[in-house]
Amino acid sequence: MELAVEAKQLVKVYGQGVRALDGVDLSVEQGKTFALLGPNGAGKTTLMRIFTTQIRPTSGEARVCGLDVVRDGAKVRKIIGYVPQEMSVWTDLSGYENLLIYAKIYGIPRGTRARLLDEVLSKLGMKGAAKALVRTYSGGMIRRLEIASALLIRPKVLFLDEPTIGLDPSARKAVWMELGKFKEGDGVTIFFNTHYMDEADLYAEEIGIINEGKVVTVGTAAELKRSVGGEIITLSIAGNPFVPERLRSLESVEDVILAEEEVRVVVKDAEAALPRVLEGLRQDGVSVVRAAITKPTLDDVFLKYAGTRFEAGGRVGEVRQMRRMIRRG
Amino acid sequence: MSLSALWAMWELELRRLRHDRLELYTRAVQPLLWIGVFGPIMGSIRAIPTGGVPYTSFITPGVLIQSTTFVSIFYGLTIVWERESGILKKLLVTPASRASLVVGRAMAAGVRAIFQALVIVPIALLVGVRFYPNPLYLLGALGVIFLSSGGFAALSMLVASFLKTRERFMGIGQALTFPLFFASNALYPVAMMPRALQVFAQVNPMSYVVDAVRSLTITGNVSQLGLDLLAILAFDLVMFAIASVSFRRIIE
Repeated sequence: MELAVEAKQLVKVYGQGVRALDGVDLSVEQGKTFALLGPNGAGKTTLMRIFTTQIRPTSGEARVCGLDVVRDGAKVRKIIGYVPQEMSVWTDLSGYENLLIYAKIYGIPRGTRARLLDEVLSKLGMKGAAKALVRTYSGGMIRRLEIASALLIRPKVLFLDEPTIGLDPSARKAVWMELGKFKEGDGVTIFFNTHYMDEADLYAEEIGIINEGKVVTVGTAAELKRSVGGEIITLSIAGNPFVPERLRSLESVEDVILAEEEVRVVVKDAEAALPRVLEGLRQDGVSVVRAAITKPTLDDVFLKYAGTRFEAGGRVGEVRQMRRMIRRG
Repeated sequence: MSLSALWAMWELELRRLRHDRLELYTRAVQPLLWIGVFGPIMGSIRAIPTGGVPYTSFITPGVLIQSTTFVSIFYGLTIVWERESGILKKLLVTPASRASLVVGRAMAAGVRAIFQALVIVPIALLVGVRFYPNPLYLLGALGVIFLSSGGFAALSMLVASFLKTRERFMGIGQALTFPLFFASNALYPVAMMPRALQVFAQVNPMSYVVDAVRSLTITGNVSQLGLDLLAILAFDLVMFAIASVSFRRIIE
């Protein structure tokens, strides 16, 4: 089957020598909902801007539905929808007018335009608010309007850059419910960037993890978690320096990950392994202050493949920026 | 170049104006001072040869053009704002060509400029300016304003593609408009200027715009109109071309 999105050894170096993408290999099948998960500055937005033909890669290849984004940029733009991270509607127009203007820019013929807008607005449940200026909308409504305008041309691939950034959980849920409706109807491929792990976990059929310009692993949430191992015993330790080799030699232990003051021991059956792990540490003179058992999360997956913790730094700043944009109107 | 995208940009601007016209009125204060205060006072000393036209009437087209050019030049600010928000990114990902985005947005400034002119004309009438009584000529003048505003807006988009932040742009907007205004035939005939300035006035597109609008609205002498229109058209085309090429820069 033709791939919806494909990247081969994709590199982007910005003018100042910043290597934003460092050889990305990626493929997403048609009809999938794919999440590109990574911390801020990992290269998510750069990758999406290349796929959406806004900027050119320094080297390597990027394709959307088989079309090269550099050579066939104009063709690519006819089959994709895109919602940037920042607000992309005019706040001094009404919701209806925004859709109307975008429909005209897309060149949707007059005959089908009115019906299409009506259909989209009722699907969104926004018919009541359609005449109000967008500056009176909530963040969630603005996002839904943006998604609607990106879907006007019934794209084959919908690119969403941080679709729910700055939204509260209920607004977030509403956004994804809308996306679900459109997906059911049109079978569109959804490619979204996020730094919210739970968002990727909940809504993506497949997740790619990106860090420092490289896609380090791809799989379903379940696959990725399984790849970390079964279950995790997290230990806070004190006393002697910790030597992971002894734990690794224990029969039931699959992996040992060190993270700051914590030790994460990956095992199949945490309840059974815990006594043996504690015993092993006691023999080394390492005392355990606290022990907890957790099932793996995407955070653990990230830690395993990226080698660092998933940092939420900068998130507050982005949210503030988003709010400012909405207010500015 | 897709025409539907061009029309959509103009419609966008019209709809914006329908929702909020305050800016048109506040921007009319400065022209009011020029033709209500500066004109009559300067005119009373009769120091400037205007070819028999009352001084206030002489400068009215200049003040009109200064004001509409201001609108166009500051249109670049809209583009800077749209760059900070996601609108520009989104527009670039639509099937509309980059050239049609640039020309469409630039000419949208022309839509705004026409309405700005329509706010100023009644003020001029109140002050006692007598316009040349030919409605076709007046319509033609609006056409000239529309056309030339596109070129100035493209110039400002070009500047915006280098500056990228609104703070920097604010200063440049002023620094661009006033030299164009003072080194043109808006307030005094070019012949009165020092030699060097005269050379500049010859290549200053605003001189041609003012001349065209003055001939259509005040003197009725349209012998130079063809040349003026040619100069304006050339200015537009050059600006559209350069702005389209440099438009890539604005999003990087």
